[in-house]
Amino acid sequence: MNQADVSKLVSQLKFRVNPRLRKFRNSGGPEERLNWLRKTVTALIKHERIELNYPRADEARMYAERLISDAIRYGDCHKTTMDVADYWIVEKQLIHKLFKVLVPRYEHYNVAYTRLIKVPRVYPGDTLPKAVLELKGNPYPSLLPDTSTNRGIIHNVLLDEAKKAYRQQKYAEIAAKIDAAEEKFSDLKISGKDEKNVSSL
Amino acid sequence: MSSLNSLSKYLGAPIAKQQLININLKRFLSSVSEECKRQSDLFAAEKQRQRENVGRIEKIDVHTEGPPEASLIMNKNVSTPYDCAKHLGDKFVDRAAVALLNNETLWHMHKPLPDSCKLEFLHYQIPNPAVVNKTFWRTCSFLLGAVVSNAFKDDVNLQLHSFPSPNVKSGSFVYDVQLGLENWKPTTSELKVLSIEMIKFCQQAHPIECLDVDKDFAFEIFKCNPHKTEQIPDIAAHNDNKVTLFKAGHHVDISRGPMVTNTDHLGRITVCNVLKLDTDISGGPIYRFQGVALPKSIVLNHFAYGIIEDRGKVLNSGRIPGKHGDVNEDNTFVSQMAV
Repeated sequence: MNQADVSKLVSQLKFRVNPRLRKFRNSGGPEERLNWLRKTVTALIKHERIELNYPRADEARMYAERLISDAIRYGDCHKTTMDVADYWIVEKQLIHKLFKVLVPRYEHYNVAYTRLIKVPRVYPGDTLPKAVLELKGNPYPSLLPDTSTNRGIIHNVLLDEAKKAYRQQKYAEIAAKIDAAEEKFSDLKISGKDEKNVSSL
Repeated sequence: MSSLNSLSKYLGAPIAKQQLININLKRFLSSVSEECKRQSDLFAAEKQRQRENVGRIEKIDVHTEGPPEASLIMNKNVSTPYDCAKHLGDKFVDRAAVALLNNETLWHMHKPLPDSCKLEFLHYQIPNPAVVNKTFWRTCSFLLGAVVSNAFKDDVNLQLHSFPSPNVKSGSFVYDVQLGLENWKPTTSELKVLSIEMIKFCQQAHPIECLDVDKDFAFEIFKCNPHKTEQIPDIAAHNDNKVTLFKAGHHVDISRGPMVTNTDHLGRITVCNVLKLDTDISGGPIYRFQGVALPKSIVLNHFAYGIIEDRGKVLNSGRIPGKHGDVNEDNTFVSQMAV
């Protein structure tokens, strides 16, 4: 069985991929669908954060992730990867950005490179669900509330105090252990001295 | 509608329905005591009276800070910060826990504004949320009192005593209650029932109302509670002969305030432990009810929440009531309640 391990042929994406592709009704057929998505992927790489309809964002995310992971895996000297990048990126100057900016940024990531967030739709307006698709590590302010670095938020205060109490308890245990050991040692010393005294006698 | 009625005649549904109503009524009546009802009615009547005393309505200018900035014309002694938030949108109404007046005074969301002012709405995830946490913790103590006062059977003599100044760092919120039970140690299932009762109470989404009343009215409301009656003169002496009362559902209690807007701000709630205190208060043993809770907007995984729960089981370091006979300026009930 000299078959290659199939799972290693294609780079594994770090989020749930749709088992079936969306068709996106349009007059141009499958090719037009891809042209649409090329525009979206290009816009994502250019602006790093875009707001659009949810289905299209979800679909474009898969292609963008695959493109970045291939770029990381094969580098810019690999012809196939270059062709793929040339196909997916409509504005050609962004190919440089892909290899010189995004590849170094995501080289050591072991999570997804993009983030997809559902956002409320504008009222009154169309009823389609909206989403924001962004590249991680972009320079914009975060969309999600920061609950981990702000240590003043109530759950962080409670956790920090719990940690302190736990440490104190552990230190007390260690101190008690040391005390016990020292006592034992001094007892031994005393008894040893007694023995010496006995032998000298 | 008429066809439905004729059908129900044959099905014998009216009897079943009547039974159901009886059962429901019974449950409802048993869950609120006569005393509680009396206090709540008195509170509502006093609130109505104060509202009618305002007389001719004057207008005030309220500037709300932070996005979105707005300049509102509101009614003096009638409009509350909550009303102002309603002009800004649902998001601000739901999120705001407490209001900040002129960048210095914390103001309860349901308390009428006395004058033109700058208004800022504080929520749980602002950059420096220490005051909001304290307000939240105080509300939790207050609501724990509301739950405990209705949780026991009628033959158990129960009197709410007080709660010490809220301190989030102590790891749990506290209510000290006098119980007619000797050496009661709650089982895990009893604690679970208390937690569930508290969750159920909070999910009913009662707005927390606020009222400044004079001493005599406070005596009238708490005439059946010897501990509160004892505390009232001390509290009134430090607060221009006024006592601030808060009400959630049918429960009325004294607190310096402010509290959060609504009981549904509480998300996860656990009553962690009940410990007997060593005090010299007459009338029965005092038990310290302890719990932990998080605002609904903060989602925490169960492991981390478990750590917080475990810490809540240790006896809270808050001041134990009645232990110190001498009452000096730093040690009064009011100064302990200070923000």
